[in-house]
Amino acid sequence: MTITATIPARVLVTKIGLDGHDRGSRIIAAFLRDAGMEVIYTNPWQKIDSVVELAMQEDVDVIGISSLATDHLLVPKLMTALKAVDLGHIRVIVGGIIPDEEEPALLEAGVSCVFHPGSGREEIVAEVERLARAATSDRPEE
Amino acid sequence: MQTTKQAKPALSARLIDGEGAALARAISVVERDSPSAINILRAIRPHLGHAVVVGFTGPPGAGKSTLVNAFVAELRKRGRSVGVVAVDPSSPISGGAVLGDRIRMAEHTMDDGVFIRSLASRGALGGLSAAAAQVADLMDAAGRDVVILETVGAGQSEVEMARIADVRIVIAAPGLGDDIQAIKAGILEIADILVVNKSDQPLAAQTKRQLEAMLGLRAPTEHNVPVLSTDAINRAGIAELADAIETCAARTERRNDRSALAGRTRHLLAQAVSQTAETHVLDSRSEAIEAIILAVQEARTSLKDAARQVLNTLHKELSD
Amino acid sequence: MNKIDKTQPQADRASAAAEWKRGFDAQVASNKPIRNRSGIEIQPLYWPEEGTEPEYDEKLGFPGSGPMTRGIYPSMHRGRTWTQRQLIGLGRPEDFNERIKSILKSGASALSIIPCNSVYRGLDCDEVEPELLGTCGTILNTEEDMDIALRDIPIGELSIGLNDPNPFVMLAQMLVVAEKRGIDWTKVTGTSNQSDYISHFVANHMFYRLSLKGARRVQMDTITYLAEHVPNWNALSVVGQHMQQAGATPAQAMGLTLSSAFQYADDCIERGMDPEKFLERFTFFFDISISFFEEVAKFRAGRRIWARLLQERYGVSNPRAMRFKFHGQTSGVDLTRQQPLNNVARVAVQAMAGIFGGLQSLHTDGYDEVISTPNEAAAKIAISTQNILKHEAHLCDVIDPLAGSYYVETLTDQMETEILAVIADIDAQGGMFKAVESGHVQRMIGQSALAFQDAVETGEQIVVGVNAHVEQEDASARPSLERPEQDWMQGQVDRLSANKAARDQDAVAGALKNLRETARSKDGNVFGAEVEAVRAGVTQSEIIAALRDELGFGQPLVVA
Repeated sequence: MTITATIPARVLVTKIGLDGHDRGSRIIAAFLRDAGMEVIYTNPWQKIDSVVELAMQEDVDVIGISSLATDHLLVPKLMTALKAVDLGHIRVIVGGIIPDEEEPALLEAGVSCVFHPGSGREEIVAEVERLARAATSDRPEE
Repeated sequence: MQTTKQAKPALSARLIDGEGAALARAISVVERDSPSAINILRAIRPHLGHAVVVGFTGPPGAGKSTLVNAFVAELRKRGRSVGVVAVDPSSPISGGAVLGDRIRMAEHTMDDGVFIRSLASRGALGGLSAAAAQVADLMDAAGRDVVILETVGAGQSEVEMARIADVRIVIAAPGLGDDIQAIKAGILEIADILVVNKSDQPLAAQTKRQLEAMLGLRAPTEHNVPVLSTDAINRAGIAELADAIETCAARTERRNDRSALAGRTRHLLAQAVSQTAETHVLDSRSEAIEAIILAVQEARTSLKDAARQVLNTLHKELSD
Repeated sequence: MNKIDKTQPQADRASAAAEWKRGFDAQVASNKPIRNRSGIEIQPLYWPEEGTEPEYDEKLGFPGSGPMTRGIYPSMHRGRTWTQRQLIGLGRPEDFNERIKSILKSGASALSIIPCNSVYRGLDCDEVEPELLGTCGTILNTEEDMDIALRDIPIGELSIGLNDPNPFVMLAQMLVVAEKRGIDWTKVTGTSNQSDYISHFVANHMFYRLSLKGARRVQMDTITYLAEHVPNWNALSVVGQHMQQAGATPAQAMGLTLSSAFQYADDCIERGMDPEKFLERFTFFFDISISFFEEVAKFRAGRRIWARLLQERYGVSNPRAMRFKFHGQTSGVDLTRQQPLNNVARVAVQAMAGIFGGLQSLHTDGYDEVISTPNEAAAKIAISTQNILKHEAHLCDVIDPLAGSYYVETLTDQMETEILAVIADIDAQGGMFKAVESGHVQRMIGQSALAFQDAVETGEQIVVGVNAHVEQEDASARPSLERPEQDWMQGQVDRLSANKAARDQDAVAGALKNLRETARSKDGNVFGAEVEAVRAGVTQSEIIAALRDELGFGQPLVVA
């Protein structure tokens, strides 16, 4: 039974690695909610395999990783792990403090977008909406 | 339907087989009301009736998610597989939601025996999306022994939860005090088990007594409604809660017994009908609807009569 | 109703001034006159003439006494400048050692140690993905690591700040190192910078390791142990920094921090400790934002409130117990990635706010703070900034120079009102421990964070280079990152395995058993057992894992 014409995008907002600051990820979660999306919000220090498990159980369209220290260096491993279980259609974005010289490696690994401090609400929301639509159309046939 | 590169069994078959990824996908299909949803719902019918559905509701701050988390741990100790449907309210303004119940259940993420799905209420009347009932069914068909439905105690969600669940738990936080008089009518009728969480707090014992007293004032029912004390953070009283739930489940008319199922389906249908009508009135710009609105505004037609008129126009429009 | 006796304030003020002068002279060895460039002699303190401003005595008073608004010591920075205490953390202990020696040469008189993120999480370097190691702080897994990090550093002669969260393994390591060097523990001075487990639960989850209850137990054990064995160590630093960085307004940060301090004081009193004694060892750690006057007022109000409420709540009369000692760190949250050199200006202004606010020690951020831990050049500029403010801008010459400003005094009063409102709110929740357990504080801070974000988004709050005066920059404008060599980290991992292999395994097992039993017992001292464990060669991860097991593992309450 549909109440709304379109189903809201489902976005997993999480942190991997060691860092525990979550001011940024909380703000992003609020942005996305106010834009009509459903955000599955987790505690920090997720391992790669638990992110994959969460993404699978919640059948999300987009994963947003918040990274302030070196944790983004683990993201390529996440990309590989997602593809391995047929979840490659999920779009992954990384936000936080990512040195410029480390951004290309992330994009090469398949990350859709990297957001730096100072990125605005409209920009982020528009991009996540776009990526969610792309993920939906790429979902494997059942 | 397109065949994929290797002949993968159908989604519903994989779900019935217990595959987590299939369950997750099937839930999405049903939530989105995709064309194949009805096929899946039909395919799972013969596999329903195994799971005990336990509903947890209560006001914010009562420690619901923490309690559910502790209960899940206890179930796992007892060798049961679990599905959790965690419902959080959607923003009435934006339609979005932050679904954070999983945070308290992080310890179970990597346990194959626990499958957790976060649902937003999506503007459903009373806060429980109709999909929740179907998701519970999917988890049942997937072989979960216990399906937990966790909802926030706002609006009419207790009542809705009551229809879907076999065992209904209402959680209270200590210190209701004078507010206990303000407890919405219906909670006590609905609950199979009342739980006072945060039993380590000084007011917990008093709250327990107050609830017991209120239960005593009701007309006597067939079964005693126990009032239990738990401390979810320190995992006290959880085994007792699990025992009480098992006892209750054993004697309850099961949710998929013929009459229970029919009653529930009737209510879900009534809900679906009113939601369809509601959308029709809110979104429609047809002349007929506009005229009816004006008539009510100018007190030429009563609301009750106007409603019947709307259903008539709906009938015409749907027939076209 | 008595008529206000106009003669009384005069007599009181004159004698208060004299008393202040006596205290000042006692603290300042030689009071050589200071003259500015125009030849005018600069007094250490200025106050209103006799018969004017009747509110002065009750609301401001003189530094080191009374309301304490103007400062906690009679001589403040004129007598002894604030301590330059730069936070340092670099991959391997030997790198840290090199950097700290260089910093001490440039004039820092105290040091702080920041451990690697892996240590914050309670993990040894062999338990973590290698790419995550050593980029934000020093790997300190064993007493050997601590020894290398502090090689040739005179532990008994410097003040050492340890960024060492509950259960304080770094402190245990440092004490054992001192012991092995024959240094008397009564000579060891410094602060447990991150001893405020409540603030970690709320707003810096990285530092949060044991459960709330478990952390409370270890906290009290540690304070007790240190009071007896390391009496000159500040066991408790109540931290406002995390909450402000997480989005609390300055008034909220001060109010919440003071509420935490009251919670800790209550816990100590419950253990039978005497507030007149233990309060002397309470220190504070605050973020300094770039909202210049707001920060000055925040600190002045905080100092006044602390002195007064200690008297009101605990009947304290020992003036030393009422001193609001605090360390300030310029706020990294205000710094930008865009046009990073602008951050040098920002840090200077933030530092000034802290100085005029009357801090006791200061850390200035490097301009590249937004990218990572500072590179050497940025670290040097940060120290130079303090030296410039001290020696060239002469900011040490006058105590509380902004006092009497119509704006600053009004603002101090208004900040006091806001801060007291927050304290009252937390009191209504049953105290800080409960307020934080329930998520009340987290929600408050989250709302403020969103409000600030909105202000920046809408342009109401301009951030140069971000939402105004934006320039196209290429990546070369930003300093490139120093990452430790992969094989350096491997060396550290190898060192750890060698260390573990060479241990007396029986001693290790015995110490761990003792630690667990102590944790399980009602009245054993957990910190004492940790020190024993470090002596036996137990690593920090082994200690923390055992304590997590016995006392509960902390998942912070994340409020969505």
